Amino acid sequence: MKKQSKPKVAFFDFTDCEGCQLQFANIGSTLLDLTELVDIVNFREIMSEAGEDYDIAIVEGSISTDNDVKRIQKIREKAKVLVAFGSCATIGGVNGIKNRTSLELAKKRVYGDKADLINTIKAMPLHEVVKVDYKILNCPPYIPEIIAVLKCILMGKPYVLPNYALCVECKMNENVCRYEKDQECMGPVTRAGCNSWCVNNGNRCYGCRGLVDNPASEGAKDILLKYGLKLEDIMNSFTLYNDCQGEKFDQYLKK
Amino acid sequence: MKYAVINKEDLNKWLEHLKKKARLYAPKEKENLFVFRPVKDVSKICLEYIPTILPPKKYYFPQKEKLLKFQVNPFKTAKAIEEFEEFILFGVHTCDIAGIQCMDVIFRESPEDPNYLNRKEKMTIIGIECLKYCDEHANCTSMATHVPRGGYDLMMVDIDKVFIIHINSEKGEKLVTGLSYIKEAKDEDMFRLDRAREEKKKIFKEELAAPLPKVYDAFDKSFGSQVWKDVGKKCVACGNCTAVCPTCYCFDTADDMELSLNDGIRYRIWNSCQMDDFAKVAGGEDFRKGRDSRQRHRYYRKFKYPVDKFNRYFCVGCGRCTRTCMADISLKETVNSLIAGQSA
Repeated sequence: MKKQSKPKVAFFDFTDCEGCQLQFANIGSTLLDLTELVDIVNFREIMSEAGEDYDIAIVEGSISTDNDVKRIQKIREKAKVLVAFGSCATIGGVNGIKNRTSLELAKKRVYGDKADLINTIKAMPLHEVVKVDYKILNCPPYIPEIIAVLKCILMGKPYVLPNYALCVECKMNENVCRYEKDQECMGPVTRAGCNSWCVNNGNRCYGCRGLVDNPASEGAKDILLKYGLKLEDIMNSFTLYNDCQGEKFDQYLKK
Repeated sequence: MKYAVINKEDLNKWLEHLKKKARLYAPKEKENLFVFRPVKDVSKICLEYIPTILPPKKYYFPQKEKLLKFQVNPFKTAKAIEEFEEFILFGVHTCDIAGIQCMDVIFRESPEDPNYLNRKEKMTIIGIECLKYCDEHANCTSMATHVPRGGYDLMMVDIDKVFIIHINSEKGEKLVTGLSYIKEAKDEDMFRLDRAREEKKKIFKEELAAPLPKVYDAFDKSFGSQVWKDVGKKCVACGNCTAVCPTCYCFDTADDMELSLNDGIRYRIWNSCQMDDFAKVAGGEDFRKGRDSRQRHRYYRKFKYPVDKFNRYFCVGCGRCTRTCMADISLKETVNSLIAGQSA
C-alpha cells in the first residue's frame, strides 16, 4: 500500500471513566508502529497539545446531556470516520443503569438538593445520536481488537463484529465451562470477539460486549435459574452493561 | 510381533522414550475435567479420564490455522507452514480414533485438504481401550466405537499389572521394538485379553433405544418432529456441542494483515452450524434461522447425511455434546425421543 499523508486521529470522551483511552495508551510498543500510520493530534491522557483538525474521531463514553448531543454532532460533522470506543459509547454500558428509573429520581439520587441545576437525558450509545462508522466493543477494549479495527479503518474496510456467543471462543480456548463449576456466566448471550479474555483469566463473563443480535434470553434464563440464581440476580447480570439494549430481553425477563 | 506387553511400572520409562521420538500429547487433568496437552512431565499424564473438553482434533485440525502468506504489492503468495512436525497422540480413546477416521473421510474427499493431510502424515496414534464406561453420557456401544476398529498405530489395554499393546502399523512397531522392557505377548497374555473383552461385553450395552438402522429410519421420518422444537427452545446457540464434537469440521477463512498493511496471512478458524449467521447468504436470506432448525441440522449431520453420502455415522458416541451442554440437551434423549415418536 502506498503511503499517503497520515490520517489525523483525535480522541474524545463523554460520560465514562476514560479507561478506554488508558487502554489505548497501554497498547505498548505497537503504539509506536501505529504512529507510523496515523498522526495522533488530540489525546489528553498522553499529550498536552490538542489539535482541532482531524480525520478520525475515536470517541468513548455515552451521551447523557443535551450538551453531549450538540458536542457529538459537531465531532461528527468534522470527522471523516467516527469510531465508538468501548462499552459506554457502543452499547451504553453501565451508564444504562440510569435509564431504569425516572430522570428526576436519578438526578435526586446523585445530586440531592442540587438536582434542579443539572441537565440530564437518558444515557445513550453514540449511534442513537449520530452515524457511527466503526465500533470497538468491550470494557475496557481488547487491545488486539483495537488494532484490528484500526487496520480496517486504514484499509477502508468494514470491521465485521462476530454475531455468535462468547462460548464459541471460550470453548476453542478449552476453558472449563463456568456452568460446569456451578458458576454463572454471561457467555451464552454475549457477543464474541474478546477471545474470552475474562474467562481465560479465571473470571466470569459480565456481558460488557453487549448481546448477540438474537440472544436466546429464554434459554439463558432457564440455565441461570437451573443453576440456582434468583430472577433478580439474573436481571442484574443481564443489565449490568446492557440496559440500553433492554428491549432484547425485556419480554422474557421483565414480566 | 503383533501384540506386545509392558509392565505398568515401566510405562513412564516408555513415555520418556516416546517424548524423545516426537512431540508427545496426552490427556491430563484441568480442574475437574481433562484436556490433551503437550507432555512436559510424564507423571502428570492421566489414562483414566472421561473424554477431554476438546477432542484431539485440535492437533490435526487446529482451532485457528494459517493457510497461506501473502504480500499485496508486489503480489506474492506462499505456503504459511513450510514444515509440519512429527507428533504422537498418546492415550486416545477408541471413540476419538473413530472421530479421526471420520475426519479422514472428509478431508481426503476431492479436493483433498493439504494442511490436514500434512499433519495427519506426521501423526502417530497410541490408543487406550476403555474397559468401563467413562460416564452415563456415552453412547459408544450403539455406535460400535467402544472397541478398537483400526485407525491407530498402537492400542493399549489395561490388564492388571500390564498393558497389552496391539501393534497395528509399522510406525507403531518401531516405537515398541528394541526396548528391553517391552516384550512380545505370550499366549497367557492373550488369554487374559480375551477374558477382559468378555467381561467388557457384560458392561457395555447399546445405549440408544434401537439399533442403528432403526435410528437412521427414525431420522428419515422426523424432519418435522416436535422434538426439534423442544430442543430449539432449550438451545442458546453457544456452539459448545459442535466445538467439542470429534467429527465437526466446518471452518471459515479470513485474512489478517500486518501493520505494514502490505503483508498478511490467510487463516481458517472453526465455524459452526449453531451460529446465528451460519446459513445466511448474500441478500440476507437465512436458510436455518431458528435454533431448532440449526440443532436439527447438527443431528442430521451425524445420523443421516453422512450415512447417505459416505455410508458412515458421524456420531462416535463420546458423549461430549451432552456433557458440555449447559442447557441439558442430551444426545441420547433426543435420539430416543425420535425413535419413540416413530414407534408411537
